[in-house]
Amino acid sequence: MTIAPVAIDCASFVESMARLKKLLVANRGEIALRIIRSARLFGLKTVAVYSAADAKSAHVGAADEAIAIGAAEASKSYLNIAAIIAAAEQSGADAIHPGYGFLSERPEFAQAAADGQIVFVGPRPDVMAALGDKVAARRIAIAAGVPVVPGIETAEISSARDFAAQVGYPILIKAAAGGGGRGMRVVAEASQLENALEAAAREAAAAFGDGRIFIEKYLAHPRHIEIQILGDEHGNLVALGERDCSIQRRHQKIIEESPAPGLSSAMRAKMIDAALKLARAAHYTNAGTAEFLVEGDNFYFLEVNARLQVEHPVTEMRFGCDLVCEQLRIASGGEVSEPAAPRGVAIECRINAEDPEHDFRPATGSVLHLSVPGGPGVRFDSHMTRGSEVTPWYDGLLGKLICYGANREEARVRLVNALGELSLLGVTNNAAYLRDIIASEQFRDAKLSTHFIDEFFSGWKIGKHEIDAAILAAVIAASEDAAPQAISNRRSPWDGLNNFELWGSRR
Amino acid sequence: MKLTRAGDSHEIDVELISRDGTTIQVRVGDREIAAKYTPNADGGGILTIDGRRYPIFGARRKDSILVSVGPASFEFKPAEAALRRRARGLAATTITAPMPGKVLKVLVRDGDLVEAGQALVVIEAMKMETTLAAESAAMVKHVRVEEGQTVDHGAVLIELSPPPAS
Repeated sequence: MTIAPVAIDCASFVESMARLKKLLVANRGEIALRIIRSARLFGLKTVAVYSAADAKSAHVGAADEAIAIGAAEASKSYLNIAAIIAAAEQSGADAIHPGYGFLSERPEFAQAAADGQIVFVGPRPDVMAALGDKVAARRIAIAAGVPVVPGIETAEISSARDFAAQVGYPILIKAAAGGGGRGMRVVAEASQLENALEAAAREAAAAFGDGRIFIEKYLAHPRHIEIQILGDEHGNLVALGERDCSIQRRHQKIIEESPAPGLSSAMRAKMIDAALKLARAAHYTNAGTAEFLVEGDNFYFLEVNARLQVEHPVTEMRFGCDLVCEQLRIASGGEVSEPAAPRGVAIECRINAEDPEHDFRPATGSVLHLSVPGGPGVRFDSHMTRGSEVTPWYDGLLGKLICYGANREEARVRLVNALGELSLLGVTNNAAYLRDIIASEQFRDAKLSTHFIDEFFSGWKIGKHEIDAAILAAVIAASEDAAPQAISNRRSPWDGLNNFELWGSRR
Repeated sequence: MKLTRAGDSHEIDVELISRDGTTIQVRVGDREIAAKYTPNADGGGILTIDGRRYPIFGARRKDSILVSVGPASFEFKPAEAALRRRARGLAATTITAPMPGKVLKVLVRDGDLVEAGQALVVIEAMKMETTLAAESAAMVKHVRVEEGQTVDHGAVLIELSPPPAS
């Protein structure tokens, strides 16, 4: 008797509208892998694209087919609209998912897809363009009755001076085309204002090709809280709660959690209402995030990220949903429905290739060993495997570790334990730094603000006990090398030490 | 043997005093540390010091020993490699771009004398600012870039020469 495997026909049981058959993923790294997994569940064939530096990268092998799109430089590959559209046409892909970063918020990319009769998994290009312009987005928010940080759209010195006198220093100058912490400058006192205005406009013109700036009151101790929204082409809009992303280093988020600790349900309801109003006013479709700064009982609209966020898994773990599948459903003409009630707490941290003891300088190298944490409520979104190369060409996100718990303390302790199980040899990274932050009483007590790192973790060093252990490990490594016969039956990372004349008098 | 941690000039004097089965005795500076080391099937092992258990892995890359202790990663350089460099009087004769990016700030000028660890250039790539610093005392021979310039991976940003003998 033979047992035949049952063919799994995802397309027949998933609500795929049959409008989409093949998805090109215009990204790399963990997010490309993550999107490919959901696309497969949704019943789609997948196409990976890759640069010359990524030919052996995990997303390439995970997809049903893979197409080389250019040289290692992002501008020649992952930012190369023509090459990606050509790859979609060549492979017969009828949809493109942009992931985050790279081209994900470039209206001209969404437009190029539309021009090629390819469905873009994201908002319409005109919506993206309006929200991508900070001044225009701010106007949409004001018109929709959403609170914004007090500010003024000017580069003119006398009105800037009047505004600053009214709200008090410090003030913040921002580039209209900036975002995510880029193109911002804090002005501490009146004497610096004139120079700062000129420099900001000049920098904005150089960095973004758009010299428009605006001025805002500087919030001294805000939290960063954002609302996840989903909108479909039938006018349905839903919110999937909030994420607190206050723990940032140089405006880059490193730890995110949901729900936001201590956020009252009244305040949450107000913020969700504001995010939905804003999304409705902007005719927003697909997944997006409205970011707010929160100080005391006030919240202020910051910007809309018109794409999937890096930190979306914390929302997925609480709501038991798959946001990429939701995106694909929306893109194929389906409807979003009111989400189930969220449960528990999820916390994510970003493991980056960087050296936290040396000014977070980016690290590169190949992964010589990887131990991955596991257990209930533990999710590791990563494209790393033993042998993976981390190159200097792209951002250094090695993976995201996300833990769920019935309450915040359970999620937090689980994440500390999971970080303790992680070992990534070969690429210097911030995992121990993250572990120490998440294990700290300041994080336990949720003393969250965007200054958390500056206040509590500015001069972080690895603990003395671990340095001792590391020194002993180095000595053991050297002595194993001196007696290779003892381990000759093994293929292991220690093998790399063979013939390494640590003890010898090398010339 | 003498080890230094990458990015740190402090030398650590270490000596394997004994290794008998799983028991090892190591001198670190003027301290003696007793530990137990049991290899695992995965190529690493468990190191136990004072009742604390650490999963460790190690490997060599070029003239470095790479070690992980749980989630913490370390790079050590045997002192010989450091000595070889010191013999030349300079940790490096050029400061190169570790990644393609844009020069945000140039903090020194031709002829400046700089100390080890002094910031020289700030470059930006993929939303990250990176400060490049002198690894040893040096004189700035030639600044080859200006602020705002885009540079490729490996591009020479600054040339250094040995500091004048004092």
